[in-house]
Amino acid sequence: MSSVLVLNLVWQVGTLALIALGLAIVFGQLRIMNMAHGEFVMIGAYAPVITAALGLPGWLQLPVCVITVGAVALLIERTVIRHLYGRMFDSLLATWGISILLREAVELIFGRGYQSVAVPVPGTLYLLGADYPAYRVVVIAGIAAGFAALAWWNARSKVAGRIKAMVGNPDLARAIGINTGRLSAASFVFGCTTAGLAGLILAPTVRIEPMMGLDYLIRSFFALVVGGLGSLEGLGLGTAIIAGTQSLFGAALSQTHGYLAVLFISILFLWLKPNGIRSSSR
Amino acid sequence: MASVLLPVSLLLGGLLLVPQLFGDFFAYQIGLYLIYGIAAQGIGFLWGRTGILPLGQALFFGVAAYATAHALRDVDGLAAQLGLAVLVLGGIVAVAFAIAALIFRGRSDSGPYFSLITLALVMAGEQIANTATGLTGGFNGLSGYDSLGGLDPFGNFYYLVVAAVVAVSALLLWLDRLPAVLIARAVADNEPRLQLLGFPTHVIKALAFAFSALIAALAGGLFASHQGIVTPTSIGFALSTELVILTAVGGRFHVFGPLLGAVLVGLASAELRDSFPYWEICLALAFVLVVLKAPGGLGEILGRLYHRILPRKPCKLPEPVQAPVSRAGEAPAPLRFDDVELRVGVVRILNGVRFETPASGIVGVIGPNGAGKTSLLNTITGNLPPTGGRILLGDRRAVGLPPHRALGLGIGRKLQVPSVFFSMSVAENLAIAMMAGRARWRDYLRPSPLGWRAPGLDAVLDTPAVPLRAELDRPVGALPQGHRQFLEFAMTTAAEPRVLLLDEPCAGLSHDETTLMTDLVRRFQADTGGLVIMIEHDMAIVEALSDKVLVLHQGRVLAFDSYDAVRADPAVQAVYAGGTK
Amino acid sequence: MSGLLAIDTLTGGYHDTNVVFDVSVQVAPGQVLGLFGRNGVGKTTLARLVQGGLRPATGDIRLGGRSVTGLAAYERRALGLGYMPQTGMVFDDMSVRDNLYLGENRCPPDAYFDRFPRLAERLDQKAGSMSGGERKILAFVRTMIEDTGLLVLDEPSEGVQPENIDHMADCLKERARDGAGIILIEQNMTFLTQVADSYLGLDAGRVCLRGDAGEVTDGQIKAALAI
Repeated sequence: MSSVLVLNLVWQVGTLALIALGLAIVFGQLRIMNMAHGEFVMIGAYAPVITAALGLPGWLQLPVCVITVGAVALLIERTVIRHLYGRMFDSLLATWGISILLREAVELIFGRGYQSVAVPVPGTLYLLGADYPAYRVVVIAGIAAGFAALAWWNARSKVAGRIKAMVGNPDLARAIGINTGRLSAASFVFGCTTAGLAGLILAPTVRIEPMMGLDYLIRSFFALVVGGLGSLEGLGLGTAIIAGTQSLFGAALSQTHGYLAVLFISILFLWLKPNGIRSSSR
Repeated sequence: MASVLLPVSLLLGGLLLVPQLFGDFFAYQIGLYLIYGIAAQGIGFLWGRTGILPLGQALFFGVAAYATAHALRDVDGLAAQLGLAVLVLGGIVAVAFAIAALIFRGRSDSGPYFSLITLALVMAGEQIANTATGLTGGFNGLSGYDSLGGLDPFGNFYYLVVAAVVAVSALLLWLDRLPAVLIARAVADNEPRLQLLGFPTHVIKALAFAFSALIAALAGGLFASHQGIVTPTSIGFALSTELVILTAVGGRFHVFGPLLGAVLVGLASAELRDSFPYWEICLALAFVLVVLKAPGGLGEILGRLYHRILPRKPCKLPEPVQAPVSRAGEAPAPLRFDDVELRVGVVRILNGVRFETPASGIVGVIGPNGAGKTSLLNTITGNLPPTGGRILLGDRRAVGLPPHRALGLGIGRKLQVPSVFFSMSVAENLAIAMMAGRARWRDYLRPSPLGWRAPGLDAVLDTPAVPLRAELDRPVGALPQGHRQFLEFAMTTAAEPRVLLLDEPCAGLSHDETTLMTDLVRRFQADTGGLVIMIEHDMAIVEALSDKVLVLHQGRVLAFDSYDAVRADPAVQAVYAGGTK
Repeated sequence: MSGLLAIDTLTGGYHDTNVVFDVSVQVAPGQVLGLFGRNGVGKTTLARLVQGGLRPATGDIRLGGRSVTGLAAYERRALGLGYMPQTGMVFDDMSVRDNLYLGENRCPPDAYFDRFPRLAERLDQKAGSMSGGERKILAFVRTMIEDTGLLVLDEPSEGVQPENIDHMADCLKERARDGAGIILIEQNMTFLTQVADSYLGLDAGRVCLRGDAGEVTDGQIKAALAI
């Protein structure tokens, strides 16, 4: 296997892990089956398009992305999502409506056509005996550092436990002093913003268009299904299996075969190990 | 029957007028929306009754559409085509049943995951339809075939669609009045309770799923003939979710809701999609609002308006009918535990429990908190399969069976926190309990079992202080906790099990209610001559009721003897200090 | 008014159905108020109105002299109100340890482990996998160790073996001696009379009996509980 293939795989796993992280918080922790998760990736990817259209300097892409995605997420949480905690099917339906809404709104503003943006870090790096785009190397390093910081913080903070408590028994959570309204809004916005960041990162490497989110939604859902909800290690394993399967089958046979292999593995997991790969037998 | 015939004739009359009033092309458009509406009715049945949300109904719709296209193109003769259609529908039903039964077997919590599986399946279907060009015509689809029976899609084919709509609606309305749908609703309400009443819930869910797949496939067949072309969009993710949206907007709890949703949304889209750029946004917004504010959809809103004009008739309780004999009440038999062990993860809950009860009488189970009392009952009913040892009821092994088989062995169980069907009335709860262990397949398709009564149940209801008789038409959700205890007791004893397991039946009851409950337990045991095993903390109740007392401590039997002997046992005294309420 | 908790003509319930009517009562530091009545008379509703899970229709609730009627449950908790619900009293899918350490505590749970040793043995077990009585004990200990000055407990003894009920009574008396005010809802009258120094009887959502332990007779309590 060539080293480019390996680095490509790492890139795929890293970016998918970032998207799945947001879904792991929103779906895994808040139990909101967010069908609009991919649309936050899409909005994040439009951030460079926005800065370019407004003639802003390139370094503003990051704040524009975080503010835009965060504001949309907060608005949606306050108006729709907060009525849906504890109603998983309804959350699925309502967020499906929201995803259509966001796609159509973006289409009205930017049009249906593809957009593309320039790579912010040009050039290549010589790595493992091959030339590889410097931008991807920087991003992979950044994602790895981000996950390490998150794991460190998660081990020390009570927040994960408080979110779990809030979702499992909101009445009791309030009774022991948890401000559930604020905690759930913050978690939802954080989850959506990581998806938006992933969109910003992916923007120079993909075609930016209103429909682009669906594929990311499906793959990150399946990564969670395979890896199981509730642990960062599971998230890593799940994204590795999904992204790896798709890349390998895609390279060896065709994109369709890669896609079918991912579906097949996901169905197998849903059927036989619905709590993910790390769960012991039930 | 009037409640089925009247709405169906109104529907039929209205639909027949459409071509006369608005012309053939309009009827053609309505025909397409009605076809989507039929598929949505199938979703409404599954989702509104059993609570399972199918996200991949377009799979069945699309497979049937492709099969129909092939049949119309390659097979000659109406009879051969119809024969093939029956074959395809049968195949789809069998596959849908098999998938759902496999996934639902052995668990009662895979609702959302099942939805995801259906989603993944439909996406796989769409991929295959796009790539298997030889079979499906790929991106361009299959076309160039005649309509079914040579009917004109822009003319008389409309009447075939109307016939299908009316037939499906009548079938669904008829089902809604039968025990079959009551049981399906009970699955959504409280699946573990239904299992303890002896119903194999995975089979019920799989049947409901297969039925909804059949309806979707029927619609798919009509679609192929109506449109004259089948492309991968007919099997796609987008169509699947659109069908769900139509169902939700129209209202999943009413038979006509999905039809209404399909026709209204279809008409509005056709009218506005091109002239009004914000139409899709408005539709999405409307859908979000329905989910948030009116989960019952348009159907429920219209229903409420209708009942404001014509007040609902007070719901009539079904005629009491003598029920057939229960199959759960075979001859009493002793219950024997042979070195039963139970481990959950690393925690050892039962460590070699060994005892044998008499075939008849009341056994009180006592022990400190965490001694394994509830787990002991869980091993008997199969909720927690033991990790070692044997459990025998008479000469029959009672180990390794799923919970829904326990009642068949003659074991009935009342749970610690009252577990009943909270969204239903007291009468409906009792009807389900009376069908437990008595109903046969054909009984689910006739209304009379809804009124089944037996002397045992009547005796409980006729006890003066039992509050249930006056509350038959009240929703259980509105009853106080104590009344629910009596309801669950009545439901558990309705099947007349030869072994009755009671987990703290007096918890949360006042002193007088406790006396009443102990009277009922004693009388049930005397009437049936069977075995009652009762967990109880209150030593006064244990003393008053028990023929023998089983003391559990740290997952082992500490003592098993008469109340007085147990009380005098120094080992028991060492770990257990008595007291009364 | 020096009381810890003052409830003034409180009326309220679920949505638009009132369950509790015109209840006024005060709890002073160190006082244990026994709240009793038959099933369905509104004891739990009253507790949830005080705790903040339900909003009253009319009336006022003051905690330490400050009106908390419009405050959310978590804000009342921050002002020192601890609550043990009748059902859903623990976080089922979290471990015993996490249940005990989630909130702000005044002391570590170890102080209660010699009375309830089962909890110490089961620290890493999921709370939901324990028996009903054990979960009550877990919730009780959680309520005991929180840094609160007013405790509302809804049927803590349900399903708990008598020996542990005695331990619960000791714990409650200790907290009262240290100055906490306590509202205790109970069906188990032996337990209730063991710890309560005053009583409030409810019937059909209204106060039907009130008084100090010395004034209220067994006969009056029996009459209030009769069907």
